[in-house]
Amino acid sequence: MLTSSYLNKEECKMKQYFSRIWTGLLITFFSFSFISSSYAIDIKLWDLSGRQGQDEFYELLQKEVSKYNPDINVIVTEWENEAYKTQIQLALNGNDGPDVFFNWFGEDSARLARAGLALDLTPYADMEGGYGNFISKGWQDAGAVDGKIYGVANKAVSKYFYYDPAFFDQHNLSVPTTFGELIDTCKSIKAIDPSIVPWPMGNSERWKLNHVITMLNQRVVGAENTKADYALTAPDDELFTNPKYVEAWEKVVELNENCFNDAPNATNPELTRSMFAAQISPMMYCGTWCGGIFASEGFTDFKMFRFPRVEGGADDGTVGFLVAEGLQVSAKTKHPEAAALVASINVSDNMALADAELRGSLISNAALIDQMKDAPHWFTFYVNDIADKSGHVNVLDVLLEANVSNAYLDMGTEVLNGTKSPQEAMDFIRKVALEAKAAM
Amino acid sequence: MNKTQTNSVGFSLSSDRVSVIILLIPALIFCTVFIFIPAFWAIVGSFYSYGMTSLNDWKWVGFDNYIKASQDEFFWIALKNNFIIVFASIVLQVGVGTILAAILDRGIKYGKVIFRTIIFTPMVISSVAVSIIWLIIYDPNVGILNSILKSIGLPTPSMGWLGDPDISIWMIMIVAGWQNTGFMMVLILAGLQGVSKEVYDAAEIDGATGVKAFWYITLPMIRNILIVAILITTIGAFKVFEFVYVLTQGGPSNATQVLGTYIYLQAFNLLHMGYANALSVVLLIIALILGWFQLKASRRA
Repeated sequence: MLTSSYLNKEECKMKQYFSRIWTGLLITFFSFSFISSSYAIDIKLWDLSGRQGQDEFYELLQKEVSKYNPDINVIVTEWENEAYKTQIQLALNGNDGPDVFFNWFGEDSARLARAGLALDLTPYADMEGGYGNFISKGWQDAGAVDGKIYGVANKAVSKYFYYDPAFFDQHNLSVPTTFGELIDTCKSIKAIDPSIVPWPMGNSERWKLNHVITMLNQRVVGAENTKADYALTAPDDELFTNPKYVEAWEKVVELNENCFNDAPNATNPELTRSMFAAQISPMMYCGTWCGGIFASEGFTDFKMFRFPRVEGGADDGTVGFLVAEGLQVSAKTKHPEAAALVASINVSDNMALADAELRGSLISNAALIDQMKDAPHWFTFYVNDIADKSGHVNVLDVLLEANVSNAYLDMGTEVLNGTKSPQEAMDFIRKVALEAKAAM
Repeated sequence: MNKTQTNSVGFSLSSDRVSVIILLIPALIFCTVFIFIPAFWAIVGSFYSYGMTSLNDWKWVGFDNYIKASQDEFFWIALKNNFIIVFASIVLQVGVGTILAAILDRGIKYGKVIFRTIIFTPMVISSVAVSIIWLIIYDPNVGILNSILKSIGLPTPSMGWLGDPDISIWMIMIVAGWQNTGFMMVLILAGLQGVSKEVYDAAEIDGATGVKAFWYITLPMIRNILIVAILITTIGAFKVFEFVYVLTQGGPSNATQVLGTYIYLQAFNLLHMGYANALSVVLLIIALILGWFQLKASRRA
């Protein structure tokens, strides 16, 4: 009996002891929750992966944002290019998506704005730290839809022909200024050594050739003639009927016969970059992101030239490929002002300079480029050349309506394989465009 | 005493029922949340038109999506490719799996475990990883397949193994076969090991040995296992996605499109969610019919 009573007392003590511990833990937990919910604003930012200097860039972004609002905590998630295109749409429709996210400016960004998934950032332009303080009206308009700003453009990408000057000098080859000269250059390179691929083409993901046909349409058909077709506003009996479109596809056939490697539809685009960087191929058409990649693979002595004009084409060769990119803010964000601030600070003077220096970006805050330290020669070339161009053309897979864009991507594969003629390719694209227009 | 027993038995039965229900609840919750509700919404959504970026803007279209599917050449290409994969998988995976199982069961004396492990190993690797490995093997510029063929003077396809619309679907089949044949082999081997040795001894007395014994004794006796293997392969072939997505993304120009990748293309690239739902419902019906056959066959087996 005595033992039993003793045990009961001990049990009571133990219970009291554990009860105190539990109470303490609960108080601590709720205190931390209260503190964190009171002060921290987590802003989830999604961007593409694989760029040099990305970690340092985002560390700096956190510091810069903290200068304006020390409670904002920027949480960055990076995605592979292809996975991102699907994932961002899913996430924006869900309840746990990003507050701020990367996008290509054009149809991709406008579609999100029209669907009410992207936040109207117009009211935040002139707030303290707002993007209106940093980038020009022209760059602000890159993210505009129906007069409102739905994204802050922080950079642009363009494309150039990269070539190996040592190879060109050694074999007395000159930089082509017309499409005909480009074909002749390819023929000359093959004549030197038939095993050399003059211009490696990796179209396994379909977008590589899409960039080429974007430029060929521009050079052959011209911006004025493509505008209504691309926007699907041309009358039905005229939509994509201009015979110059077929001519542009015929140029692709010519390139395939004279310049490209065998099996371009089965070749990975990254492999073709390595072929140029390893100086196996003396020339390739690649984006402004490629200069840094070639350098990281040990090849820096390359030079660039523009996509040549086409003889008899509608364009004199001064219009260039340019896709603006930047950040949009989710319409579902719980912290619109903080998210808008993060998107804005991304283009501030300090961040823009860091973007150029660390990530090699062609920044929208272009006035700062002169302050850039140790700019590599390719970067200087891009900046000067873009400033020198008479106009810009957006890439078809960003610009066109999704079904028409997919038709262009598919026809690129078919024309390269020779399973469809240029005329058949355009007939198919016209059919899809008419269906897409009817569904609008 | 009798009454007590009845009560006791009655109580015990109802307690069992309660236990059964309680034990079923977690599975039912998961099935409802992850299968029944999404399937229900897929069926409902198939009668509407809406996109990924207009999820709150559903437009009633009735059976239009199903009519569209019946007129969509790429849907029929995808369905045809699924059937090609079904038949090719049965030949490659079940056929070769049966031969390998027979060899391991009766054809070799030593190293059975080693061979069985080697053949089964691809099964434990992720399908995506397997596809990437084969992507490198098939590469027209640096792939080992082209190197081997060229080194012995044989021609290689000018459009590449995965770039040629006439052969790319078969190249995908080889990858799927390479990964899954081991599983079929193990399944069939289990069936073979259940065949009594006495049956073979009796057959031997009657003059049936080797291939003859395999044909007249082994195959009929593992018939039910083979049916299950064929049904598993068939259902797997209809669900195929990752091999096609990683190797060709349905290309070149839709030549390797299957229902899984075509649904993905429509839903997430072309943003036709309603149409993608209708295609999913077609796939669901096919899967249900096959599943019913599988269930029946499993019971008989």
